Amino acid sequence: MSTDDESFHPLGEEWEDELETMLDDTEYDSDLGMEMAQDAMRVTKGELSEAEFHERYHEDVMEEFGEDERPTKEAYEAAQEEAKGTVSNMLNAFDGDDGETRRETMKKMGVGAAAVGVGAFGAASNGPEQSVTAAEEGHGPRQETTEESDTQWGMTIDLERCDGCLSCMTACSEENDLDQGVNWMYVMAWEDENHHGQEGSEYDVYTDFNMGSDFNMLVRPCQHCTDAPCEKVCPTTARHTRDKDGLVLTDYDVCIGCRYCQVACPYGVNYFQWDEPDVAYEDIDGLEDPDNPDQITHAEYEHGERWVDSRAPRGTMSKCTMCPSMQDGKQGEDKVGTSACESACPPGAIQFGNVKDERSDPSQHREHPVKSRAIVHLTNSTDSTKTAPSADQINSALSEGDDLQTAIDQIEGLTVDILAIMKSIEMVSEGTEPGDEENNSILSAEQDILSAVEAFQQYVDLETEEAYSELGLGDGSEQQAHFRLEQYTGDPSSFQLLEDVGTNPNVTYLGQEPGPEAQQVEGPTKYEDVGLLDERQEYLDEGTVGRIDGVSL
Amino acid sequence: MSTKTPSEEDILRPINTLTKKYFILYGVAALGLVAFLVAWAYQLQQGLIVTGLGDWGSGGGSTWGLYIGAFIWWVGVAHGGIILSAAVRLLNMDRYMPVARLAEMTTIGGLSAAGFYILVHMGRPDRMVTSVIGHYHITVNNSPLVWDVTVITAYFVLSATYLGLTLRYDISRLRDDLPDMFEPVYKILTLGYTEAEDKVIDRMVWWLAAAVIIMAPLLLHGGVIPWLFALLPAMPGWTGAIQGPMFLSIALMSAISGIMIISYAFRRAYDWDHIITDDIFRGLLLWLGFFTLLFLWFQLQTIINGVFLGPTNKAVAIEAKIAHPIYQVAMTMIFGTLVYIFLQGIRPALFSKRRALIASVIVLTGTLTEKILFVVEGFLHPTFDIYANTPGTYFPSAIEWLSLVGTTGLVALLFLNLSKLVPVVELHAIEHLRGDHEHGEEATEPEVEA
Repeated sequence: MSTDDESFHPLGEEWEDELETMLDDTEYDSDLGMEMAQDAMRVTKGELSEAEFHERYHEDVMEEFGEDERPTKEAYEAAQEEAKGTVSNMLNAFDGDDGETRRETMKKMGVGAAAVGVGAFGAASNGPEQSVTAAEEGHGPRQETTEESDTQWGMTIDLERCDGCLSCMTACSEENDLDQGVNWMYVMAWEDENHHGQEGSEYDVYTDFNMGSDFNMLVRPCQHCTDAPCEKVCPTTARHTRDKDGLVLTDYDVCIGCRYCQVACPYGVNYFQWDEPDVAYEDIDGLEDPDNPDQITHAEYEHGERWVDSRAPRGTMSKCTMCPSMQDGKQGEDKVGTSACESACPPGAIQFGNVKDERSDPSQHREHPVKSRAIVHLTNSTDSTKTAPSADQINSALSEGDDLQTAIDQIEGLTVDILAIMKSIEMVSEGTEPGDEENNSILSAEQDILSAVEAFQQYVDLETEEAYSELGLGDGSEQQAHFRLEQYTGDPSSFQLLEDVGTNPNVTYLGQEPGPEAQQVEGPTKYEDVGLLDERQEYLDEGTVGRIDGVSL
Repeated sequence: MSTKTPSEEDILRPINTLTKKYFILYGVAALGLVAFLVAWAYQLQQGLIVTGLGDWGSGGGSTWGLYIGAFIWWVGVAHGGIILSAAVRLLNMDRYMPVARLAEMTTIGGLSAAGFYILVHMGRPDRMVTSVIGHYHITVNNSPLVWDVTVITAYFVLSATYLGLTLRYDISRLRDDLPDMFEPVYKILTLGYTEAEDKVIDRMVWWLAAAVIIMAPLLLHGGVIPWLFALLPAMPGWTGAIQGPMFLSIALMSAISGIMIISYAFRRAYDWDHIITDDIFRGLLLWLGFFTLLFLWFQLQTIINGVFLGPTNKAVAIEAKIAHPIYQVAMTMIFGTLVYIFLQGIRPALFSKRRALIASVIVLTGTLTEKILFVVEGFLHPTFDIYANTPGTYFPSAIEWLSLVGTTGLVALLFLNLSKLVPVVELHAIEHLRGDHEHGEEATEPEVEA
């Protein structure tokens, strides 16, 4: 492009001429088109606001086309707030916004079409959005047709925090009215050649964090796989993935009881209802006042409801559901994003939530295991001897001019150790705030700790060399803080069960992965001691007609 | 071997006689079936808890058992039967023409028993239509169980058409000697028959036979049925490409044995020494030996692949398999039969019909045992075998055992009924044996084959 080129279009005069010829071929006013295109270029350069552009041409456009699909001033301003920059960026900002379909967005962004070039003007009879769509194709972030939910319920389970108390199993049984031996949630201790229970354990020393556990644990709910083999093999579609949140569920009204899902599941999470369930349908109870069991047993779908929750009726397959009645808000808003087992777990080893949301508990626990472990441990009052004080506690206990040791002594339960961990959390924290859609307990607990540290620092400066050394934080770098946390919680590896089978499970584990030859051993709590039946066959054998004791294939 | 000349009268004998033995046999078969129907009703009332089945995994049971094992065994008998009959037609193995229709009827019987097992096995059989057919357009894309039902249905249609078409020739010619009682049935069977269609039917049947032979290994017992198991990645006892050929060899072994037993019974009951000759038994026995050899070869492949540096899960599953006493017994029985078959091939004096019958019974028992064990073993040694209660326990309940009696009764009843309705030996076969068949000149094939 030469400097004396007077064209307004960046591609030069020749291009403009070509476009003008194209405009001449249409039934519309070429001069108006060229004029608009010229000003549209000014809009892109920021010389002219889009609102001004719109006002300048609104009447002409109405006269020429009889309609003007470009945005009103208000819509424009709303869009402007969403995103600043090129048309493409603005469209991207709208993309995925649930409130508006992409097409609507396009219509509103008609002004952008003009800015792209006069080509859009020639196609105006089809509405200006068409050419923008064309321009977007290929490098757009996502096609309209691949609508994927941004919710996927799942878990991160900390096996080193699990103490095998089986509370989750009993809570699950009660929540879902399960028969004896139907252990949707199953907790086991295991050993293999590299991981013995008693001697040679990773923890030779008792710490408050590891609770001196001698057991390698495995917590096995349904993995709610993204590529669930059970769903693939189902001859009826009874076993399905709920679109809106990725839960893998069984429609008890459709299941024919062929048990192929149980056959195909590599984890063994399915339990068939071989006889009439112990709890009658009318007695299923999950709400405070369930006048209708449907409320608990039926989950919400795009089109109506399906019977997928709680214990299965006779002759159909059941397994862990991840509590859809809770996720649907039927048990109250505060239970959305929680599950019966998670709520029951004393050490907070089970973290349930939307694994696609980086702010959720499972994501935080998976991505920042060290920090999250420390947070859970310091704020989980039910099963921890160490508790972080709240900002209020600090404010009421401390006064100006306290030195570090005095301050610590003045707050009940606070130790140098706890304060050091709190400070370390603050140092490594990115300050991400919890979302408001679901229960982001780790991030809200983190916020509590951050404000407690902030409160503390109003009275005592923790960022001095002296304080750092007293808290064992070395030079006070983030790395040192991380190291301090690791000392406290360990740095667990993470894994998913049977990753090589290709099921893409939505449960992630922190801790030791059982090897291929791992075998279940007796755990710290016996199943029968908490009213559970481990080997269901013992019960099923009672119903077998003509059973010969002790004979097996 | 016999000096008697085969006649129309011979093949009409089952239809036009009614003996005390027949009634006794009918009574026993009906009793077997009814006994199981009663047991099934009890199962429907109580739930599947009356079986010995359970949940694999923490539950310590076996999800599938005798019902599915017997299901694939009956499907195998059925598929082998129709393959045999198709081979007779396609390859002009005229020597076996007298048992071709028995093979086709075995297919119908086997498929009926297998279909019945599908219902018996389910927790909610009442939903078969709404749940399975209602979602067919979706599930047929994924579920091997739906492929299975699809292909079995296709084969049922194929086999029934095959049988129906070949019956037209016989019934129209023998009509005068058939009982008037069944007149409406014959009318329907021979609807619009003219002699001009014989040639067309011949060609149609040939094409049907070709379809059976081509589809059997690719889709049916070499495909869809083994895929039910072989495609599941986390059950090393099942996984693997060998299952296709393995299943097909078992199907053919079972079918040949089944047909030998049924042929033996008919020959004995109706003095058909000159129709179902010793020569047919000798030939069938050699074919049985051939497929038994293939079966043992595939077993060997499976075992060596698992125990010699196999991956952990596979090694565990295979080592458990070969250590299982029932597996050892079944394989010994089958291997022993193979030895006998080879010996009598070398020294024909060792052959007798009774021994052939015993060989057949042994092979059928062996394959049924292998099938049930195969199904259960998948659950005993899964890849994820961390559970203390895995391997679990399973032994079929009285009701499950009774299902074998019931389905055998069902198939026996089918033969007993059909033998009173239509000739179980083709008219073509008689014509061929007499040498007055139009394709008579083709009967010059070698006497001993395989």
